[in-house]
Amino acid sequence: MVHLRLIETSMEFKPDQAAQKQDFRQMLVDLAKSRDKKLFMQLYDHFAPRLKSFLVRKGASEELSEELVQETLLSVWRKTSSYDPVKATASTWIFRIARNLWIDRLRKEKPDMLSPLNSYPEVGYTPSMAACDVGRLKDALDALPQQQAQLVYKVYYEGKSHREIADDMDMPIGSVKSGLRLAFDKLRVRIGGEP
Amino acid sequence: MSCNHHPDDSTLLSYGAGSLPDALAMVVACHIAACSDCRGKIADAEQIGLGLMEQEPVQSMSERSREWMLAMLDEPCEKSMPEPQLAVDYDSNGDIPAPLRPLIGQWFNELHWRTMAPGMKQFILPASQGKLLLLKIAPGTFMPSHGHSGSELTLVLKGSYSDELGRFSAGDVADIDPEMNHQPVADTHEGCICLIATDGPLRFKGLVPRLLQPFFQL
Repeated sequence: MVHLRLIETSMEFKPDQAAQKQDFRQMLVDLAKSRDKKLFMQLYDHFAPRLKSFLVRKGASEELSEELVQETLLSVWRKTSSYDPVKATASTWIFRIARNLWIDRLRKEKPDMLSPLNSYPEVGYTPSMAACDVGRLKDALDALPQQQAQLVYKVYYEGKSHREIADDMDMPIGSVKSGLRLAFDKLRVRIGGEP
Repeated sequence: MSCNHHPDDSTLLSYGAGSLPDALAMVVACHIAACSDCRGKIADAEQIGLGLMEQEPVQSMSERSREWMLAMLDEPCEKSMPEPQLAVDYDSNGDIPAPLRPLIGQWFNELHWRTMAPGMKQFILPASQGKLLLLKIAPGTFMPSHGHSGSELTLVLKGSYSDELGRFSAGDVADIDPEMNHQPVADTHEGCICLIATDGPLRFKGLVPRLLQPFFQL
């Protein structure tokens, strides 16, 4: 466990911030108790620009991205007491909140939606404690055959379904699925998951 | 509950990325309530998403956003935030999986099922992308043979069925390749309840099933 914690802590260092010794997991745990705004704003300064860039890549306008970033971090502030450091790394937890708010927003734009599905319940996720070395992930992405990289890109950045990707790339859905399967296997090895 | 058939890894990847159409995502949510293997894979898919996010060049927020953020911290929560809901396994509180309960309640036998063909009843659920429905098949009933034009996910919630791919029991997911035709049959005495999501219309083979298609609303 001690070993895992070390990995986890190192994962959340950005090289440029290593000196600040930020441990986001610990910060969230402390925040739940202290409600210290200064501490919260440290999280804000780290995550806001990253979340914004991620949402812009997903196709949100600059304005909408900023709105969702604020909403995400406000949820972080309000929900710190429900953050369980054993179940998820701080970054994963924040990433999930942002993703779910983005999905909610997409749904709200559909006028025919009668009642919203909450298809992302908290299910006591098996935590992924492995080190996520951004450099290694990038290497793994670069090493993917071009078509597989393109499939991953369309899933994460364009938010496309398998069928939409099949239409875009003029290939059978079965090939979209097998390409994603292969890419997922290779990337999982790099982020420490089982292949 | 042990599961023998799982969603395809490509489906779990898309779920973790937040890119699976609504209806399909609900089927995955109900399956992972009972399957820790798939929860682990989804956590990996989220890590990849996080890694992709971390490697992006950051985009600075507009000038006053920090100030606005600080101001918002003191605002009281207007609407109570829904507590994250624990997806429990099937239990004494109901036989409907937890992710569906806010929509339709606790028990299957309290739903207003609509008969669509002899031995087949359905209950349609709202979804913004794709179609989502519960299907109740009486023992021994054959579904018409069909193929798909998009993705189809079927989760068995009660009983079991068999088709060309094998036998599917409660908790199992069939992640069906659209190029394939299949003809499920409910194969136990208690009949079978499935949650089915598609993001493209089914393609029935025979003339009569084709005429029935509108009733399936798929």
